[in-house]
Amino acid sequence: MVLHGFVVVGLVGLFVASVALLAAAAIRRPRVRVHAPDAWKSYRFGLATFALIFLAFDMEMIFMYPWAVVYARIGVPALLDMLVFIALLGVGVAYAWRMGALRWE
Amino acid sequence: MGVAPALAWTIALSGGGAALAHAVERGLRRTMPDVDPGPAAPVQIGVERAPAQTDPWFYSAAPAIALFGVALALVVIPFGGQLVGADLEVGAFYYLVVLDFVSLAIALGGWGANTPDAVEACYRAVAQLVAYVVPLGLAVIGPLMMARTLSTVAIVEAQHRAGLWYVVAQPVGFALYIATGAMQGYRAPFTEPFASQIHGGVLAAYGGAQALVWRVALSALLFTIAAMGAVLFLGGYAGPIGGPIGMGLKTLGVLVLIVLAGRFFRARSTAETLALSWKVLVPVGLLNVGLVGSLILLGVGQSAFR
Amino acid sequence: MEIAPALQIVLFAVFAAISVLGALGMATTMSMFRSGVFLMASFFGVAALFLLLLADLLSLLQVMMYLGGMLVMILFMVLFSSDPGGSMMAGMMTMTRVEKAFSRGLSRPSPMATPHGAGGGMDMAAGHDMSMTTPARKWARHFGWAVAVVLSGALVLRPVARATERALPDPRSPERIGDLLMGKYMIAFEGAGLLILLGIFGAVLLARPSERPDPEDRGHLRAAVDAPPPPPEEG
Repeated sequence: MVLHGFVVVGLVGLFVASVALLAAAAIRRPRVRVHAPDAWKSYRFGLATFALIFLAFDMEMIFMYPWAVVYARIGVPALLDMLVFIALLGVGVAYAWRMGALRWE
Repeated sequence: MGVAPALAWTIALSGGGAALAHAVERGLRRTMPDVDPGPAAPVQIGVERAPAQTDPWFYSAAPAIALFGVALALVVIPFGGQLVGADLEVGAFYYLVVLDFVSLAIALGGWGANTPDAVEACYRAVAQLVAYVVPLGLAVIGPLMMARTLSTVAIVEAQHRAGLWYVVAQPVGFALYIATGAMQGYRAPFTEPFASQIHGGVLAAYGGAQALVWRVALSALLFTIAAMGAVLFLGGYAGPIGGPIGMGLKTLGVLVLIVLAGRFFRARSTAETLALSWKVLVPVGLLNVGLVGSLILLGVGQSAFR
Repeated sequence: MEIAPALQIVLFAVFAAISVLGALGMATTMSMFRSGVFLMASFFGVAALFLLLLADLLSLLQVMMYLGGMLVMILFMVLFSSDPGGSMMAGMMTMTRVEKAFSRGLSRPSPMATPHGAGGGMDMAAGHDMSMTTPARKWARHFGWAVAVVLSGALVLRPVARATERALPDPRSPERIGDLLMGKYMIAFEGAGLLILLGIFGAVLLARPSERPDPEDRGHLRAAVDAPPPPPEEG
């Protein structure tokens, strides 16, 4: 049962990816060369703090999906547990905000 | 649905959805001449562009990965009780994961093309990923809590049995979904990775058949986001406006809403998008989860399960 | 199980090959960006193996974490690496066959026409062999083979597989995982929240400007961070 859906997923993925790659390889048009300086170098990267906080919240979202499915069945205890969890992370975001870290460098 | 019909249906839906979204955007763009077209900018299909120093693996794979991500997402969007590619038990979560492949594709294509514009687009696309993922997840969690399931078909059925479109119970969640949907689809006002200032970013480095693949992928992306919004918040194929036609109309409505809502805001830079996401949208999303949790305990939307 | 045993073995082999080749590519390619993407590919192979065990939610969690997480990690690598695209390393270093295979397409026709021997492979000139396929210690090669034999033996003999097979199939995994999180693993759940909070504190600490002046050799990095981004040019 579980795998039937993913078999469809796999086939759709394979089909679409192959068609796209084959079309790119087979359909040819006149080419225009684009000259541009090499852009592969160290780069100013302003989103360092945002990226780290995003990783933290990504981990939180992992917990929220199974919780959301059983929430209504369990009721108030589930709400309190998630409130504690969100409060912990909210403290983190508030701290980051107060420390001025939520800022593009 | 059997495997072969499911495959055919998903392919047809991708193509049709892309065409619909493209036509709608073209039509609406005439009313918004001064808004950056972003990913809806015209691409050159007649001429191939060959950047001089690409990373060949990334450059050739990127458009295919973008289309791959969007087509996979459309597998779980139901247009009828049986009219769905595959009703996965974890459908809604699967949808969120698979659309991240589009951001991966833009990052790979941008880095692979190795022009300053494209590499800039790569960084902006990853920044936008960091901005939209968490608020989008928080917006989607509301309907998941009310429907007690991750399956898209079951979410529609739950709205049908409760006699309630979730947009009525969770207007904040719906607004959050529209905002983060615009971020996810790179539409106004969050068009930075495809801005005209960098000549369309990744799109400038591609031409020919690959540009066509990008065009189809980006238009189908907007269609997919709108369709999921209709499933989660507007009752999908159920309810007073029902069946595949009703679902199509609802998708069209959400699509027009996303495109038109963007015109009221000037284009946000990447820094502003991140600040908006983490300072405004994430707190609103967390409050929304708390609000929806309380509503559920009061019984809203729960008549589906008595 | 729902699929034929022969097909299971074929699928397992394919996904395991993806995982192993991804890890190999990650270690041997010259480009940092490709290295990150190969790691992503390796973890997608592992996610597909989770699917073969009918763990659909866990498989998607794996893909989600590694897509978002690795893209962010790649950007961090690009910030701190001097040759993130690998074009300079690929041009200058003499590579072994494995490294050449995973770095194909990266080397540039060099504007400086240095004969290959004079500029040298960077490896020989510095006196250190920088190839990733050379073991750092004499015994590392034998240790590697020993580990490979042990793992292959575990795969063939499968000492702990019975418990896993008894637990399959487990439908409705989101509900099951949610019940476990809210019940048996509540402490772990809240503890994870606490750990994540500590991570956020750490991130904020790293972001604060340091009170001590930077040593001189960090000047170039500071300059790269402070310099305005290159103006966008049309090719």
